[in-house]
Amino acid sequence: MIPEIAWKNVWRNKSRSLIVITAVTIGVFAGVFTIAVMNSSVVQRIDAAVNEELSHIQVNNKEFRSSSDIKSLIPAYDKVVAEMMKAPGMQDLTGRIIIRGIASTAGRSTGVEINGINAAKEKQIFTLHEKLIPGTGDFLDTETKYNKAFIGEKLARELNIIRYSITEESLKKLKDEKLPGEISTKLIALKGERFTSDKKFSRAVEAVLLPGEYRKYIYLIKEAAWSYRPGSKIILSFIDINNNQTEAAFRVSGIFRTNNDMFEAMSVFVPEEELRQLTGIPENSYHRVIGRLKDNSLSEAASAYLKKELPGYEVMQWKEIQPDLAMLADMMQQIYGIFMGIILAALSFGIVNTMLMSVLERTREIGMLSAIGMNRNRIFSMIMLESVFLSLTGGLSGMLVSGIVIAATSKNGINLVQYSEGLEAFGYSAYLFPTIDAPFFIMTTILIVFTGILSSVYPARKALKLNPIEALRKE
Amino acid sequence: MKVIEITDVYKIYNSSEIKVNAVNGVSLDFEEAEFAAIVGPSGSGKTTLLNLLGGLDLPTSGKILIDGTDLSLLKSSQLIDFRMRNIGFVFQAYNLIPVLTARENIEFIMNLQKMSKASREERSFELLKAVGLDDRAGSRPSKLSGGQQQRIAVARALASKPRFVLADEPTANLDSKSASTLLEIMEKLNHEEKITFIFSTHDPRVVKMAHRIITLEDGKVVSDVRTE
Ligand SMILES: Nc1ncnc2c1ncn2[C@@H]1O[C@H](COP(=O)(O)OP(=O)(O)OP(=O)(O)O)[C@@H](O)[C@H]1O
Ligand SMILES: [Mg+2]
Repeated sequence: MIPEIAWKNVWRNKSRSLIVITAVTIGVFAGVFTIAVMNSSVVQRIDAAVNEELSHIQVNNKEFRSSSDIKSLIPAYDKVVAEMMKAPGMQDLTGRIIIRGIASTAGRSTGVEINGINAAKEKQIFTLHEKLIPGTGDFLDTETKYNKAFIGEKLARELNIIRYSITEESLKKLKDEKLPGEISTKLIALKGERFTSDKKFSRAVEAVLLPGEYRKYIYLIKEAAWSYRPGSKIILSFIDINNNQTEAAFRVSGIFRTNNDMFEAMSVFVPEEELRQLTGIPENSYHRVIGRLKDNSLSEAASAYLKKELPGYEVMQWKEIQPDLAMLADMMQQIYGIFMGIILAALSFGIVNTMLMSVLERTREIGMLSAIGMNRNRIFSMIMLESVFLSLTGGLSGMLVSGIVIAATSKNGINLVQYSEGLEAFGYSAYLFPTIDAPFFIMTTILIVFTGILSSVYPARKALKLNPIEALRKE
Repeated sequence: MKVIEITDVYKIYNSSEIKVNAVNGVSLDFEEAEFAAIVGPSGSGKTTLLNLLGGLDLPTSGKILIDGTDLSLLKSSQLIDFRMRNIGFVFQAYNLIPVLTARENIEFIMNLQKMSKASREERSFELLKAVGLDDRAGSRPSKLSGGQQQRIAVARALASKPRFVLADEPTANLDSKSASTLLEIMEKLNHEEKITFIFSTHDPRVVKMAHRIITLEDGKVVSDVRTE
């Protein structure tokens, strides 16, 4: 009966309760959604790094990372593989030959990391092959008589393999993308010209558009004007196992696009056999073995196991390879904490304030209740339940709204394409897919319930301090 | 049999400068089924005396026995429980719980006492009929007139068959017609249920209906007459 009365009391002053509940709902939603959005970029960044660049565990020759010497190969490769397969949660692994080199085209050259890979095996471990830009070829799949290389878009741009030109076709593409007609008209001025670099094209477009239009549409225009001739040639030069400067031509087999410009600019993937032939690295020798686990959460255990079992090697999990990612995840945790702390404090103040008002308004009524037989426990629980109902209604509806909005936006993402170039330079995606993991969601809900209960104590104690006779005497 | 027995009771308020003897050496007995009025000028100690009788306040000195129980020996939680089981209260106003209906208000104390639903309903129905408001059982207090609210308050006070009912100026906020209706109902219930009623009042017409009139002045009983 007390809960029933408490619930009814909550609705005595409908507008006041609704305002508090709405405020709590909005506060909780704002907090949780903001966290989900922030979390989105971090989770995407980590997922992308793990799935496209690092995988979970890497084992290197102890000298390899510091010396980047082509001779720092993994001795006893088979033993390492056998040991790695025994690590907890190990699903699959592959070896890579990794050498430093220079990639160049006519007039352009840049330092790169050349990865000799087993394409079929890599597909089991990484999702990089899915990042192939459609129409640019394939992931080292087709047999050709030439050497093949799979490179990033950023590198392709730097080597001037990608060209920009406004053609009938690109104008049609822009029309489909709903580019306003007057802008297309302005672009016609650039028709027929081939721009050999990103920068030149950007400058040309900037010259024909207004600054506002340029900022808004440049990304779209670049996408449409983008062109690439399959099979473009690049030269890779490096030092072979006998310290001889070597040079070889490779045909670009495909171009990939990730959210990490650094990775795109640095990485070249070529078939393992081709690189072996050119460098003289013998069969069954690799610089690095990369392992994929069933689940990211097993990284800690697997790396601990391998560090113990492979003392002569450098065993690293993704967090150690890119400590900034681990730090990012930790920092996010702290930001969540601060954020939720602020929101819960605001929630608590709102509830305490409202309930105190409500208790003081009802001094006489509470006096009467205690005169006719409501004992302290009952009065305490009545007021406490009122506060709890108030905070729970607001808190849970906030969580519900957050859940719904996150579910809705996480499917299609929030489009940040307009600002994407700045973001991608740091490895963040232009699309945000707000995500919240179940433990965080549950934890937050529990914290809200807990805060509700905690905030109810003070008003309830206040109600107990009311003296029934004093209360009843008051006119 | 004596329901209430008070001997040499004092209640002294020592607020800052002035010392007030609100109840100044009162000794009184109340029998079963009495219908007694406490009268006296404003400030004479009527409310203070009723609060002492109801265990809402403790005397500075003197003894208050209810059915032989010395109230000053009870712990505060026991006292609340004792009040709930033995004493019915009717105040001038704010008697009812606004969010409950008339019937739920009447059943409230029975509910606290964990009476069965069936017996609660039987009793509340009986009382609603007795106070003439069986057609308003489902109304919330705000939908009832002042007189109707006080009648529900009387029904609530009687619900769990207390030993006696204390009413501090129950008619103070009522017009004379509602006041006499309320008094008639109180008298009838006093007669039918054999429950002692003690009420304070300023209203001469209400005083006339009492079977015993106790007059206070400056905290002292100056006369105590039975009119039957
Ligand atoms: N809490 C208190 N502190 C100090 N003095 C008090 C207190 N309560 C009552 N008094 C004093 O005690 C005396 C008796 O008050 P009480 O309310 O019992 O009178 P009353 O007969 O009920 O008056 P009324 O007819 O106006 O209701 C008064 O002089 C009053 O000022
Ligand atoms: Mg009084």
